[in-house]
Amino acid sequence: MKTETRAQILKIIQEKGKVRPIELRKSLNISAQMIHRHLRNLTERGIVEIKGAGRFTQYALAGVPDWEAVSSWINARTAPEGPESMVCETREVFTARLPHLKSFVRNGLPENILPLVIATAGEVGNNSFDHNLGQWRDVPGCWFESQVTGKQLWICIADRGQGIYHSLVKVHPELANEQVAINAAFETIISGRSPENRGNGLKYVKNNLSTTPGGGIACISGTGRVFYGEQGERCIVLLGKHFSNVRGTVTLMIWTCGDELNAAAPVPLTTGGLSRQILHKVRDVEEE
Amino acid sequence: MKIEVKKFGEILTSRPAGREAGLSMKAYFKPEPGDRIELDFSGVLAMGPSWLDEVLSVLRNEYGNERVICLPSENASVTASLKIIEKQDDKK
Repeated sequence: MKTETRAQILKIIQEKGKVRPIELRKSLNISAQMIHRHLRNLTERGIVEIKGAGRFTQYALAGVPDWEAVSSWINARTAPEGPESMVCETREVFTARLPHLKSFVRNGLPENILPLVIATAGEVGNNSFDHNLGQWRDVPGCWFESQVTGKQLWICIADRGQGIYHSLVKVHPELANEQVAINAAFETIISGRSPENRGNGLKYVKNNLSTTPGGGIACISGTGRVFYGEQGERCIVLLGKHFSNVRGTVTLMIWTCGDELNAAAPVPLTTGGLSRQILHKVRDVEEE
Repeated sequence: MKIEVKKFGEILTSRPAGREAGLSMKAYFKPEPGDRIELDFSGVLAMGPSWLDEVLSVLRNEYGNERVICLPSENASVTASLKIIEKQDDKK
Protein backbone atom coordinates (compact mmCIF):
# COMPACT_ATOMS: atom_id res chain seq x y z
CA MET A 1 0.00 0.00 0.00
CA LYS A 2 2.80 2.35 1.01
CA THR A 3 4.67 1.46 -2.15
CA GLU A 4 1.61 2.21 -4.21
CA THR A 5 1.10 5.61 -2.57
CA ARG A 6 4.75 6.55 -3.00
CA ALA A 7 4.67 5.46 -6.61
CA GLN A 8 1.60 7.67 -7.11
CA ILE A 9 3.37 10.59 -5.44
CA LEU A 10 6.40 10.13 -7.66
CA LYS A 11 4.25 9.85 -10.75
CA ILE A 12 2.56 13.16 -9.95
CA ILE A 13 5.91 14.84 -9.26
CA GLN A 14 7.34 13.48 -12.49
CA GLU A 15 4.38 14.71 -14.52
CA LYS A 16 4.26 18.17 -12.97
CA GLY A 17 7.97 18.75 -12.41
CA LYS A 18 7.43 20.36 -9.00
CA VAL A 19 4.52 19.99 -6.59
CA ARG A 20 3.42 21.40 -3.26
CA PRO A 21 2.28 18.96 -0.55
CA ILE A 22 -1.23 20.41 -0.66
CA GLU A 23 -1.55 19.47 -4.33
CA LEU A 24 -0.59 15.89 -3.51
CA ARG A 25 -3.11 15.82 -0.67
CA LYS A 26 -5.90 16.94 -3.00
CA SER A 27 -4.91 14.54 -5.79
CA LEU A 28 -4.54 11.48 -3.58
CA ASN A 29 -7.17 12.31 -0.99
CA ILE A 30 -5.02 11.33 1.99
CA SER A 31 -4.04 13.23 5.13
CA ALA A 32 -1.37 15.94 5.23
CA GLN A 33 0.45 13.90 7.86
CA MET A 34 0.69 10.89 5.54
CA ILE A 35 1.83 13.04 2.62
CA HIS A 36 4.60 14.59 4.72
CA ARG A 37 5.66 11.18 6.02
CA HIS A 38 6.02 9.84 2.48
CA LEU A 39 7.79 12.98 1.25
CA ARG A 40 10.22 12.86 4.18
CA ASN A 41 10.99 9.24 3.43
CA LEU A 42 11.54 9.92 -0.28
CA THR A 43 13.71 12.95 0.51
CA GLU A 44 15.86 11.04 2.98
CA ARG A 45 16.41 8.38 0.34
CA GLY A 46 17.53 10.97 -2.19
CA ILE A 47 14.66 10.20 -4.56
CA VAL A 48 13.08 13.64 -4.31
CA GLU A 49 14.51 17.03 -3.37
CA ILE A 50 13.04 20.05 -1.62
CA LYS A 51 12.85 23.29 -3.61
CA GLY A 52 12.09 26.59 -1.89
CA ALA A 53 11.11 27.10 1.74
CA GLY A 54 8.15 27.78 4.02
CA ARG A 55 4.78 27.87 2.32
CA PHE A 56 6.53 27.95 -1.07
CA THR A 57 8.13 24.55 -0.47
CA GLN A 58 7.84 22.26 -3.45
CA TYR A 59 9.12 18.76 -4.14
CA ALA A 60 10.88 17.65 -7.34
CA LEU A 61 12.58 14.47 -8.50
CA ALA A 62 16.26 14.43 -7.54
CA GLY A 63 18.52 14.45 -10.56
CA VAL A 64 16.02 16.26 -12.76
CA PRO A 65 17.02 19.90 -13.19
CA ASP A 66 14.45 22.63 -13.72
CA TRP A 67 14.83 24.45 -17.04
CA GLU A 68 11.40 26.07 -17.13
CA ALA A 69 12.69 29.65 -16.96
CA VAL A 70 15.40 29.33 -19.61
CA SER A 71 13.13 27.43 -22.00
CA SER A 72 10.48 30.18 -21.72
CA TRP A 73 13.20 32.75 -22.45
CA ILE A 74 14.65 30.94 -25.44
CA ASN A 75 11.32 29.76 -26.90
CA ALA A 76 9.70 33.23 -26.72
CA ARG A 77 8.83 34.59 -30.17
CA THR A 78 9.64 38.19 -29.31
CA ALA A 79 12.28 39.76 -27.09
CA PRO A 80 11.69 38.36 -23.61
CA GLU A 81 12.74 39.99 -20.37
CA GLY A 82 14.98 37.65 -18.43
CA PRO A 83 15.98 37.92 -14.78
CA GLU A 84 19.22 39.84 -14.31
CA SER A 85 20.52 37.00 -12.17
CA MET A 86 20.50 34.67 -15.20
CA VAL A 87 20.92 36.83 -18.30
CA CYS A 88 24.43 38.17 -18.85
CA GLU A 89 23.94 41.10 -21.20
CA THR A 90 27.66 41.63 -21.76
CA ARG A 91 30.79 39.48 -21.76
CA GLU A 92 31.97 41.33 -18.67
CA VAL A 93 28.90 40.23 -16.71
CA PHE A 94 29.33 36.63 -17.89
CA THR A 95 33.03 36.64 -16.93
CA ALA A 96 32.25 38.08 -13.52
CA ARG A 97 29.82 35.20 -12.85
CA LEU A 98 32.21 32.38 -13.74
CA PRO A 99 33.85 32.35 -10.28
CA HIS A 100 30.45 31.44 -8.78
CA LEU A 101 31.07 27.90 -10.06
CA LYS A 102 33.70 27.54 -7.33
CA SER A 103 30.91 27.23 -4.77
CA PHE A 104 29.90 23.82 -6.17
CA VAL A 105 32.94 22.24 -4.54
CA ARG A 106 30.79 22.38 -1.39
CA ASN A 107 28.28 20.14 -3.22
CA GLY A 108 30.95 17.53 -3.87
CA LEU A 109 32.32 18.72 -7.22
CA PRO A 110 35.90 17.35 -7.18
CA GLU A 111 38.49 20.14 -6.88
CA ASN A 112 40.59 18.66 -9.67
CA ILE A 113 37.62 18.92 -12.05
CA LEU A 114 36.69 22.49 -11.08
CA PRO A 115 39.25 24.08 -13.48
CA LEU A 116 37.75 22.12 -16.39
CA VAL A 117 34.21 23.07 -15.37
CA ILE A 118 35.05 26.78 -15.30
CA ALA A 119 37.18 26.79 -18.46
CA THR A 120 34.58 24.77 -20.39
CA ALA A 121 31.69 27.02 -19.34
CA GLY A 122 33.92 29.99 -20.19
CA GLU A 123 34.50 28.75 -23.74
CA VAL A 124 30.79 28.13 -24.36
CA GLY A 125 29.65 31.47 -22.91
CA ASN A 126 32.33 33.49 -24.66
CA ASN A 127 31.26 31.92 -27.96
CA SER A 128 27.89 33.63 -27.54
CA PHE A 129 29.63 36.99 -27.55
CA ASP A 130 32.37 36.17 -30.09
CA HIS A 131 29.88 35.10 -32.75
CA ASN A 132 26.88 37.31 -32.10
CA LEU A 133 28.21 40.82 -31.56
CA GLY A 134 26.05 42.96 -33.81
CA GLN A 135 24.08 39.85 -34.81
CA TRP A 136 21.67 39.35 -31.88
CA ARG A 137 18.12 38.66 -33.01
CA ASP A 138 16.67 40.83 -30.25
CA VAL A 139 18.06 40.42 -26.72
CA PRO A 140 21.86 40.65 -26.41
CA GLY A 141 23.80 38.30 -24.16
CA CYS A 142 23.48 34.78 -22.87
CA TRP A 143 21.53 32.94 -20.21
CA PHE A 144 23.95 31.34 -17.72
CA GLU A 145 22.42 29.01 -15.16
CA SER A 146 23.86 26.29 -12.97
CA GLN A 147 22.07 23.86 -10.67
CA VAL A 148 23.06 20.89 -8.53
CA THR A 149 20.53 18.12 -8.28
CA GLY A 150 20.95 14.41 -7.65
CA LYS A 151 24.68 14.98 -6.99
CA GLN A 152 25.20 16.35 -10.47
CA LEU A 153 26.11 19.83 -11.58
CA TRP A 154 24.13 21.03 -14.58
CA ILE A 155 25.12 24.13 -16.52
CA CYS A 156 22.93 25.67 -19.20
CA ILE A 157 24.16 28.45 -21.48
CA ALA A 158 21.76 29.76 -24.11
CA ASP A 159 21.54 32.74 -26.43
CA ARG A 160 19.13 34.38 -28.84
CA GLY A 161 21.83 34.92 -31.41
CA GLN A 162 22.20 33.92 -35.04
CA GLY A 163 22.92 30.24 -34.36
CA ILE A 164 25.90 28.14 -35.40
CA TYR A 165 24.86 27.60 -39.04
CA HIS A 166 24.39 31.29 -39.82
CA SER A 167 27.64 32.11 -38.05
CA LEU A 168 29.63 29.62 -40.14
CA VAL A 169 27.92 29.58 -43.54
CA LYS A 170 29.06 33.07 -44.52
CA VAL A 171 32.66 31.87 -44.71
CA HIS A 172 31.95 28.15 -45.21
CA PRO A 173 29.18 28.00 -47.86
CA GLU A 174 29.88 24.30 -48.32
CA LEU A 175 28.02 23.57 -45.05
CA ALA A 176 24.73 22.20 -46.35
CA ASN A 177 22.48 22.62 -43.33
CA GLU A 178 22.27 23.25 -39.59
CA GLN A 179 23.13 19.65 -38.67
CA VAL A 180 26.27 19.62 -40.82
CA ALA A 181 27.27 23.00 -39.35
CA ILE A 182 26.91 21.95 -35.70
CA ASN A 183 28.84 18.73 -36.34
CA ALA A 184 31.64 20.73 -37.97
CA ALA A 185 31.67 23.24 -35.12
CA PHE A 186 32.24 20.52 -32.50
CA GLU A 187 34.46 18.18 -34.48
CA THR A 188 36.72 20.23 -36.75
CA ILE A 189 38.80 23.37 -36.39
CA ILE A 190 36.45 25.83 -38.03
CA SER A 191 35.24 29.35 -37.25
CA GLY A 192 32.94 31.97 -38.68
CA ARG A 193 35.44 34.66 -37.67
CA SER A 194 37.50 34.43 -40.86
CA PRO A 195 40.25 35.45 -41.50
CA GLU A 196 41.08 35.18 -37.78
CA ASN A 197 42.78 31.96 -36.80
CA ARG A 198 40.20 30.51 -34.42
CA GLY A 199 38.00 27.47 -33.99
CA ASN A 200 39.38 25.26 -31.22
CA GLY A 201 36.98 26.20 -28.39
CA LEU A 202 34.17 23.72 -29.00
CA LYS A 203 36.63 20.88 -29.60
CA TYR A 204 38.07 21.63 -26.17
CA VAL A 205 34.56 21.64 -24.68
CA LYS A 206 33.67 18.34 -26.37
CA ASN A 207 36.94 16.67 -25.34
CA ASN A 208 36.63 17.75 -21.70
CA LEU A 209 33.08 16.48 -21.31
CA SER A 210 33.70 13.29 -23.30
CA THR A 211 36.74 12.25 -21.30
CA THR A 212 35.59 13.14 -17.78
CA PRO A 213 33.77 10.24 -16.06
CA GLY A 214 30.14 11.14 -15.49
CA GLY A 215 30.32 14.08 -17.91
CA GLY A 216 28.12 14.93 -20.84
CA ILE A 217 27.10 17.72 -23.17
CA ALA A 218 24.35 18.39 -25.68
CA CYS A 219 23.85 21.37 -27.93
CA ILE A 220 20.96 22.47 -30.12
CA SER A 221 21.16 25.23 -32.70
CA GLY A 222 18.30 25.50 -35.17
CA THR A 223 17.51 21.95 -36.30
CA GLY A 224 21.07 20.82 -35.61
CA ARG A 225 21.85 18.85 -32.48
CA VAL A 226 24.85 17.01 -31.06
CA PHE A 227 25.66 15.20 -27.84
CA TYR A 228 28.83 13.71 -26.42
CA GLY A 229 30.06 11.94 -23.29
CA GLU A 230 28.63 9.37 -20.89
CA GLN A 231 25.68 11.63 -20.05
CA GLY A 232 25.32 13.23 -23.46
CA GLU A 233 22.22 11.29 -24.44
CA ARG A 234 20.54 12.27 -21.20
CA CYS A 235 21.34 15.92 -21.91
CA ILE A 236 19.88 15.81 -25.42
CA VAL A 237 16.67 14.13 -24.18
CA LEU A 238 16.26 16.90 -21.64
CA LEU A 239 16.99 19.63 -24.18
CA GLY A 240 14.59 18.11 -26.68
CA LYS A 241 11.88 18.08 -24.02
CA HIS A 242 12.25 21.76 -23.14
CA PHE A 243 13.41 23.59 -26.25
CA SER A 244 11.20 23.60 -29.31
CA ASN A 245 12.36 26.43 -31.52
CA VAL A 246 16.00 27.24 -30.89
CA ARG A 247 16.98 29.93 -33.34
CA GLY A 248 20.10 30.79 -31.36
CA THR A 249 22.09 28.16 -29.47
CA VAL A 250 21.44 26.18 -26.27
CA THR A 251 24.12 24.10 -24.60
CA LEU A 252 23.61 21.82 -21.61
CA MET A 253 26.55 20.37 -19.71
CA ILE A 254 26.58 17.89 -16.84
CA TRP A 255 29.38 17.13 -14.39
CA THR A 256 29.12 14.45 -11.74
CA CYS A 257 29.90 15.31 -8.14
CA GLY A 258 31.87 13.24 -5.61
CA ASP A 259 30.79 9.72 -4.73
CA GLU A 260 28.28 9.65 -7.55
CA LEU A 261 31.17 9.25 -9.99
CA ASN A 262 31.09 5.57 -9.11
CA ALA A 263 27.38 5.29 -8.43
CA ALA A 264 24.79 3.51 -10.48
CA ALA A 265 23.27 5.11 -13.56
CA PRO A 266 21.18 8.20 -12.82
CA VAL A 267 17.40 8.33 -12.93
CA PRO A 268 16.50 8.28 -16.61
CA LEU A 269 14.40 11.11 -17.98
CA THR A 270 11.30 9.57 -19.42
CA THR A 271 8.47 11.49 -20.98
CA GLY A 272 5.62 9.21 -20.00
CA GLY A 273 4.83 6.81 -17.16
CA LEU A 274 6.89 6.29 -14.05
CA SER A 275 10.37 5.13 -14.86
CA ARG A 276 11.16 1.56 -13.86
CA GLN A 277 14.21 2.78 -11.98
CA ILE A 278 12.15 5.03 -9.70
CA LEU A 279 9.75 2.18 -8.96
CA HIS A 280 12.70 -0.03 -8.04
CA LYS A 281 13.97 2.66 -5.71
CA VAL A 282 10.60 2.85 -3.97
CA ARG A 283 10.46 -0.93 -3.57
CA ASP A 284 13.99 -0.94 -2.18
CA VAL A 285 12.88 1.57 0.44
CA GLU A 286 9.97 -0.65 1.47
CA GLU A 287 12.06 -3.77 1.75
CA GLU A 288 14.63 -2.18 4.08
CA MET B 1 62.51 35.11 -18.47
CA LYS B 2 59.58 33.65 -16.57
CA ILE B 3 56.11 35.19 -16.70
CA GLU B 4 53.72 34.32 -13.88
CA VAL B 5 50.44 33.92 -15.73
CA LYS B 6 48.41 34.12 -12.49
CA LYS B 7 49.20 37.84 -12.40
CA PHE B 8 46.75 38.20 -15.30
CA GLY B 9 43.93 36.61 -13.33
CA GLU B 10 42.93 33.29 -11.81
CA ILE B 11 40.26 32.59 -14.48
CA LEU B 12 41.44 33.16 -18.04
CA THR B 13 38.92 32.31 -20.71
CA SER B 14 38.10 34.95 -23.32
CA ARG B 15 39.93 35.94 -26.51
CA PRO B 16 39.75 39.71 -25.87
CA ALA B 17 41.29 39.20 -22.41
CA GLY B 18 43.97 36.91 -23.88
CA ARG B 19 44.87 39.41 -26.57
CA GLU B 20 45.13 42.20 -24.00
CA ALA B 21 47.32 40.00 -21.79
CA GLY B 22 49.57 39.11 -24.76
CA LEU B 23 50.00 42.76 -25.71
CA SER B 24 50.76 43.66 -22.12
CA MET B 25 53.38 40.89 -21.90
CA LYS B 26 54.94 42.12 -25.13
CA ALA B 27 55.08 45.67 -23.83
CA TYR B 28 56.37 45.09 -20.31
CA PHE B 29 58.43 41.89 -20.47
CA LYS B 30 61.51 42.37 -22.58
CA PRO B 31 63.71 39.26 -22.75
CA GLU B 32 67.41 39.58 -23.53
CA PRO B 33 68.28 38.63 -27.12
CA GLY B 34 68.24 34.83 -27.32
CA ASP B 35 66.54 34.51 -23.92
CA ARG B 36 63.35 32.42 -23.75
CA ILE B 37 59.97 33.48 -22.42
CA GLU B 38 58.55 30.83 -20.10
CA LEU B 39 54.86 30.96 -19.21
CA ASP B 40 54.36 29.65 -15.67
CA PHE B 41 50.75 28.63 -14.96
CA SER B 42 51.16 27.98 -11.21
CA GLY B 43 48.28 29.53 -9.27
CA VAL B 44 45.95 29.77 -12.26
CA LEU B 45 42.52 28.31 -11.42
CA ALA B 46 41.13 27.86 -14.93
CA MET B 47 42.35 28.65 -18.41
CA GLY B 48 40.76 28.01 -21.81
CA PRO B 49 42.44 27.56 -25.19
CA SER B 50 40.94 30.80 -26.56
CA TRP B 51 42.77 32.91 -23.99
CA LEU B 52 46.04 31.00 -24.41
CA ASP B 53 45.83 31.05 -28.21
CA GLU B 54 45.66 34.84 -28.21
CA VAL B 55 48.61 35.18 -25.81
CA LEU B 56 50.75 32.76 -27.80
CA SER B 57 49.86 34.42 -31.11
CA VAL B 58 51.10 37.80 -29.89
CA LEU B 59 54.27 36.45 -28.25
CA ARG B 60 55.22 34.02 -31.01
CA ASN B 61 54.73 36.65 -33.69
CA GLU B 62 57.21 38.80 -31.79
CA TYR B 63 59.75 36.24 -30.59
CA GLY B 64 59.16 33.11 -32.70
CA ASN B 65 57.86 29.68 -31.64
CA GLU B 66 61.15 28.43 -30.17
CA ARG B 67 61.58 31.27 -27.70
CA VAL B 68 58.07 31.07 -26.18
CA ILE B 69 57.67 28.07 -23.88
CA CYS B 70 54.69 26.86 -21.83
CA LEU B 71 55.88 25.25 -18.59
CA PRO B 72 54.17 21.97 -17.60
CA SER B 73 51.17 22.27 -15.28
CA GLU B 74 49.05 19.89 -13.22
CA ASN B 75 45.94 21.99 -13.75
CA ALA B 76 43.55 19.99 -15.95
CA SER B 77 42.23 23.04 -17.82
CA VAL B 78 45.78 24.16 -18.64
CA THR B 79 46.97 20.75 -19.86
CA ALA B 80 43.84 20.30 -21.98
CA SER B 81 44.31 23.78 -23.50
CA LEU B 82 47.97 23.12 -24.29
CA LYS B 83 47.06 19.81 -25.91
CA ILE B 84 44.45 21.28 -28.24
CA ILE B 85 46.66 24.21 -29.22
CA GLU B 86 49.54 21.84 -30.03
CA LYS B 87 47.16 19.85 -32.22
CA GLN B 88 46.01 23.05 -33.93
CA ASP B 89 49.65 24.12 -34.52
CA ASP B 90 50.42 20.73 -36.07
CA LYS B 91 47.67 21.31 -38.62
CA LYS B 92 48.97 24.74 -39.66
